Amino acid sequence: MIKRATLVWMALSIFSGIGLFNLKYSVSEMEDRLIALQKENHSQMEAIHVLKAEWSFLNKPVRINDLGQRELMLAPVTASQAVEIKNIPFRPEFAPISELKSSVPPAADHDPSPIITSKREK
Amino acid sequence: MIGRHPFSPFRNRREPPAPTEVDLARNRLLIAAGLTAAAFTLVAFRLLDVIIMPATQSQKVERSIPITKHYVSRADILDRNGRIMATNLNTASLYANPNLIQNKAGVAAKLAAILNLNAASLAEQFESKRPFLWIKRHLTPKQKYAVNKLGIPGLDFANEQRRVYPLGSLASHVLGFTNIDNHGLKGIENKFNNTLSNSGKPLRLSIDVRVQNIMREALLNSINKFHAIGGAGLVLDARNGEILSMVSLPDFNPNLPRKAKNKVLFNRATHGVYEMGSTLKIFNTAMALEHEKITMQSGYDATKPIRTSKFVIKDYHAKNRWLSIPEIFMYSSNIGSVKMAMDVGRVAQRKFFKRLGLLNKPQIELGEVGKPIVPEPWNDIHSMTISYGHGLAISPLQLVAGVAAVVNGGVLYTPTLFQRTRLTIGSRVISKETSEQVRRLLKLVVSHGTGSLAAAKGYLVGGKTGTAEKVVGREYKREALLSSFIAAFPINAPKYVVFVMIDNPVAIKGTRHRPTGGWVAAPVVGEVISRIGPLLGVKPINQNDPSVRDQMTIRVLTMKSGEKRLVSF
Repeated sequence: MIKRATLVWMALSIFSGIGLFNLKYSVSEMEDRLIALQKENHSQMEAIHVLKAEWSFLNKPVRINDLGQRELMLAPVTASQAVEIKNIPFRPEFAPISELKSSVPPAADHDPSPIITSKREK
Repeated sequence: MIGRHPFSPFRNRREPPAPTEVDLARNRLLIAAGLTAAAFTLVAFRLLDVIIMPATQSQKVERSIPITKHYVSRADILDRNGRIMATNLNTASLYANPNLIQNKAGVAAKLAAILNLNAASLAEQFESKRPFLWIKRHLTPKQKYAVNKLGIPGLDFANEQRRVYPLGSLASHVLGFTNIDNHGLKGIENKFNNTLSNSGKPLRLSIDVRVQNIMREALLNSINKFHAIGGAGLVLDARNGEILSMVSLPDFNPNLPRKAKNKVLFNRATHGVYEMGSTLKIFNTAMALEHEKITMQSGYDATKPIRTSKFVIKDYHAKNRWLSIPEIFMYSSNIGSVKMAMDVGRVAQRKFFKRLGLLNKPQIELGEVGKPIVPEPWNDIHSMTISYGHGLAISPLQLVAGVAAVVNGGVLYTPTLFQRTRLTIGSRVISKETSEQVRRLLKLVVSHGTGSLAAAKGYLVGGKTGTAEKVVGREYKREALLSSFIAAFPINAPKYVVFVMIDNPVAIKGTRHRPTGGWVAAPVVGEVISRIGPLLGVKPINQNDPSVRDQMTIRVLTMKSGEKRLVSF
């Protein structure tokens, strides 16, 4: 005849044994995941590193200058384009928006259109 | 049956306990069971602790797998805005164990075709008994794929890293380059080889890639236009000595250093020392003003050339009359400058030049630094020629640092290629008042003198031309020139000093202009300033603003029809 206390102890030791194994496996599983993530992280960092180098290469001032002129028709900023905030005049009077709409012609009427016209021709 | 059983509890009731062998065994069993239970309880508690309680920091570190901190073996070099100027990329290098290769000639031929190598010499190398042989370092991904596809035993790849300069030749002399084993050989790469390979932390320079590009472009255009053999350009922050741009032309591609000839590796901005010519009159005039030998109203007679035992000192833009100090400066009169220097005296002159750091090797974070050529002994003849920039050879770097000190209020800062992290302490070389007077003189050169082409729209530029005859063989040659221009802007409160030097420019056919500093270098400076001004956030100035006029006007005493008159510029 087995005493009740022995039963309790047996159950406890079995449970703790199972718990321990479970824990061990989950820890090693997590470690595997950690290594995998670190590897992934590493390769992503490397990829970012390569992309950064490429970004720097593509941002060569000579290239940007050329692209800006060819595709966007941009030119370097000159001193005359810089104005101090205090020197910008306010609009002479504040007309209601409804009036504004009728009185101000669309921009395209008096400004040359800034739409890209150059196309790559080869 | 009960009662007879030896372990029956009823047995004990009937008889008094006696220390039998059985009892002893039972006690021992109990103790053992208790200990086991205690141990299991401990395990259970620890289990609970591990599962439920969050891990402490030290436990976390202990358990994690060590992470390779630096996935590149050599740190990046960045410009002042964080733009990558040099970095490492992973590549594969092909090596072989010749002992394992079967069909040596066939393998050599196949590899040679893929890698652009000589098949015969490769086959010869395969005959060696060494177990290790580099075939080619740093393959392209395409080459690697092709070699892999061959599937030849005895070949293998080693993962290596290669130094890459994404901006090409843009700042080649500053950066320098490395050898195939990533060991720095020139420039920053060489000087900071240990820091770059050990710290893993990127190195941030004071160079601004944008400014560097503008300077290089403008300088290159001028060199091509005047068929010059080379040139140098510098942009320096006058307020702390940071170098924003350092260009030396011709330059090279640091990605392919082995293709560069020795001549192009030479850094004209720091390594070359030159007799700069009239730009040294800035120092000469500042010196005479500082020693109170002259005032802005005084002057000298420049009617006749000065004759010494060896040579005659003449004026290039000769006026043949009495000249006031501002006139001597704006017309770049050698005669007037010599007289100023003679009034100060050679001992004081030498001392003054030394204080400006012109007589010692300058400090800069590069290995390629030239030592100035200083006359020994410094006699009167040298004193005379140095007043207008001959007889003393200094590097562009020294000139720029010195001029920055003269215009910034009189404080000399050691030039640097790194961003200053704290307030820099300079040494005072001239008084604020002298500095202010020289600034007015520099402005005069651009608005009314030899440097008019350096004017940049919207910016107040002050500067000085320099046209030095180069020594060819043992003589100064009138045709071989070193044309330069040094400027500061905005000249009423200088922020940046810009210097351009063009070596041996040739006059363009069909023009009567001699390729002087004012004609060749000044326009480059003007272009550079007008382009970098908006980039660097320098506020454009309205020259007609009364307060600006007040700061810059200069009263120039001049001779008109035989009498002295005051003219305001």
